[in-house]
Amino acid sequence: MPETAAAFAQGIPVEIGKIDRELKKLWDKDEGVTTRASLLNLAIYCEGTEAMEHNTKLISEITQTHACRSILIATKPDEPKSEVHAWISAHCHLSRAGAKQICCEQITFLLEGRTCGLIPNIVFSHLDSDLPLYLWWQADFSASLDEQLWSWVDRLIFDSQAWSNPKEQFTALRSSLAKTKSRLILCDLNWTRLIDWRQAVAGLFDTAECRTHLEHIESGEISYAPGHHSTALLLTGWMMAQLGWRIGKADKNQFTFVKQDGGEISFELREEGTHAVDRLRLSGSSASFQIVHESGSAFLHEEIHLPGGQTYHYMVPPGKAEIVDLFNEELMRGGKHKVYLRALTAVESLL
Amino acid sequence: MATPTETNAANPLREGLISRPKPQPCTVVIFGASGDLTYRKLIPALYNLAADGDLPSALTVVGFARREKTDEQFRQELEEAAKKFSRQTVKDELWKHFADSVFYHRSEFGDDDGYKRLVEKLNKIDKERGTQGNRLFYLSVAPSEFEGILTKLYAFGLNKSAGGWARVIVEKPFGTDLPSAQELNQIVARTFHEKDTFRIDHFLGKETAQNIMVLRFANAIFEPLWNNRYIDHVQITASEPLGVEARGPYYESSGALRDMVQNHLLQLLCLVAMEPPTDLSADSVRDEKVKVIRSLRPIVGEDVAKHVVRGQYSEGAINGKNVIAYRKEDRVSPTSMTETFVALRILVDNWRWANVPFYVRVGKRLPKGGTEIAVQFKDAPSVLFNRETLTSGANVLVIRIQPDEGISLRMQAKMPGGTLRIEPVKMDFHYGTSFGKASPEAYERLLLDAMSGDATLFARRDEVENAWKFIDSIEDAWHKSPEPPILAEYPAGSWGPQEADELLQRDGRSWRRL
Repeated sequence: MPETAAAFAQGIPVEIGKIDRELKKLWDKDEGVTTRASLLNLAIYCEGTEAMEHNTKLISEITQTHACRSILIATKPDEPKSEVHAWISAHCHLSRAGAKQICCEQITFLLEGRTCGLIPNIVFSHLDSDLPLYLWWQADFSASLDEQLWSWVDRLIFDSQAWSNPKEQFTALRSSLAKTKSRLILCDLNWTRLIDWRQAVAGLFDTAECRTHLEHIESGEISYAPGHHSTALLLTGWMMAQLGWRIGKADKNQFTFVKQDGGEISFELREEGTHAVDRLRLSGSSASFQIVHESGSAFLHEEIHLPGGQTYHYMVPPGKAEIVDLFNEELMRGGKHKVYLRALTAVESLL
Repeated sequence: MATPTETNAANPLREGLISRPKPQPCTVVIFGASGDLTYRKLIPALYNLAADGDLPSALTVVGFARREKTDEQFRQELEEAAKKFSRQTVKDELWKHFADSVFYHRSEFGDDDGYKRLVEKLNKIDKERGTQGNRLFYLSVAPSEFEGILTKLYAFGLNKSAGGWARVIVEKPFGTDLPSAQELNQIVARTFHEKDTFRIDHFLGKETAQNIMVLRFANAIFEPLWNNRYIDHVQITASEPLGVEARGPYYESSGALRDMVQNHLLQLLCLVAMEPPTDLSADSVRDEKVKVIRSLRPIVGEDVAKHVVRGQYSEGAINGKNVIAYRKEDRVSPTSMTETFVALRILVDNWRWANVPFYVRVGKRLPKGGTEIAVQFKDAPSVLFNRETLTSGANVLVIRIQPDEGISLRMQAKMPGGTLRIEPVKMDFHYGTSFGKASPEAYERLLLDAMSGDATLFARRDEVENAWKFIDSIEDAWHKSPEPPILAEYPAGSWGPQEADELLQRDGRSWRRL
């Protein structure tokens, strides 16, 4: 990661109608010392002024990896006066070669009172033309999301781990998507959080020797840290969707899945441990598979026990935990998340 | 035998996880494991892959070399090297786990007992570590050792595996001329199928080299212009300020033409000149590259003096420091006729490139280091704005391979003001500016490809042999002709001999300023 050379993120207050002019002045001032770079428009929607500060820090880090024009929109709907405030700022860092200052611009809006309906216009009027629009939605989805805004978004980023009511949110998301018919790609950072876990679980069954035991799984268990119930659910939903398991019985965190051959799997989610996902165990009559993220370890430890006493032990990366790392990881990945949507359907059957 | 693709398809949990198949578990056996390449490139590359989670879990490395060493000593040496040369910080926990998968095997390359023990060791690894009989042999040794090693691999049945696959990676130089390359190919072919043979050219593992195809075939605006109607000429340059350093004896037997042009630069030329492949499979891409090499107009006899300039550096200065002449370098003959610089005017005899010269130059002790391809378009008609233009206003598309990978396009623009003054401006894309993430090292990509059985970025037998055929006629004119073309001298720190400039001046062109 390049060293941050400067970040004057406090911002310069500007009039809404003069943002472009003020941005131009900002770049003219440096007399060509820096390079402005932008590969995408990143709009972030959040609530409250604290979130504004937090997001400004995140943007500063994100721009080190993904050059973008960022549009930060914070709302305070409970304010009595309806006002809109705007600031511009730049995030600069040294390039990897260390020779150049690369700068990205941030436009910040604070929408107070009954101005929240301005969001689509604010986004539309400040986009860097011809570049894709990524919208990071850091709040609950409401039923009244703007269809035109949705249709302009290339990637919708959110973190289902933060949702207080996942069932309601998944439903709201589905209904918005159904209305827009856009090319929008869903990017759930909770799903990104699981990339290395999914790689690790898949890795257990890469060889034919192990894969034969996949059909004979009889029980499973996932341990997760407090606050990561939805993360564990997504991991479970993914396995269900990919392995053709259907829900048989559900009792809080105890499930019975029905396999394609009619066999049953007893599955349990346990809230214990310190990592988003702490441990996964899959057992059959003659083989068992386990992945553990031990506390103090920077890696996931895989253990495979096969018939005849054959045991394998491997180590794989544990995945990202910091939100900015998850975001950067997500942006490095492309394509529609077909598998995610399938996992989501399975998760909904568990809720 | 299950291919990696089949393996990944058969594992339903792999769907959507990775865009490329994850290699099957395997053992990488490095012959010449105590050599520089292992320490500087191979082990750091494997460690980086492990840190990124891209390696198959059960990957095992066996270092095969002559020196007496224990597993533990070998691991310690590799750890130091990884800490020094790895792209990523070496983490103790991962290194310990990685090191547990590394073993040392002491043996002479021709010793039967050594191979017998190797078979036993590999079988034991298969059983204990789950590598399933998959073996990748990396020949990081002098070409003179190839035959001995390959013969032994064949004799001990290591060229095939009942339960898995056996592949071989061969480092350059792959031969020194066409007969030696053919002989080497025959030796390899006796032991391994062509599909299991991976001739490495690390230039092809570089991100920008891979991007040439993307630039050409994923953008609609370039391909319609990519022909002799719009392109005036192409320049490919590989320059370096370094001298021969400690490689005097090797360089004496090779020279710039064999060392760089036969492999790296002709590969880049192929990527620029080839037709779109029917698909992205290894053979489709390589079929198109071979067609380009076969279309190169041979440079023979007297034409060599007209189309090729060879030079050797004399004393001069690099970065403000005086440096010695090539003939005074360590273990270099004081009467050496080895070229440290070569410039060629190459013609590709096909419909697309008829009469478009490809100027290729490579040299040591040049003022700046860098590898780039410059595609110079034809001048716009001299009417309207261009009537008064004195300097060439041609558009130039530059693909920078190293360092500072990127692409730039030069075009004409009106200068602000009341008068009509036109100046060239540059649109410049830098990987480092636009993408904060560092590219993986070339060896990481190539090792992973070889483990996955993807030979797209490796040279095929006919590519190598046809490239040698083209090079040999030039070498013959230099070394076998009764009246060889002169070996021009150039001071270290200059852009090569005057004759190289004249090569382009004769066509009314000049080398690009790097």
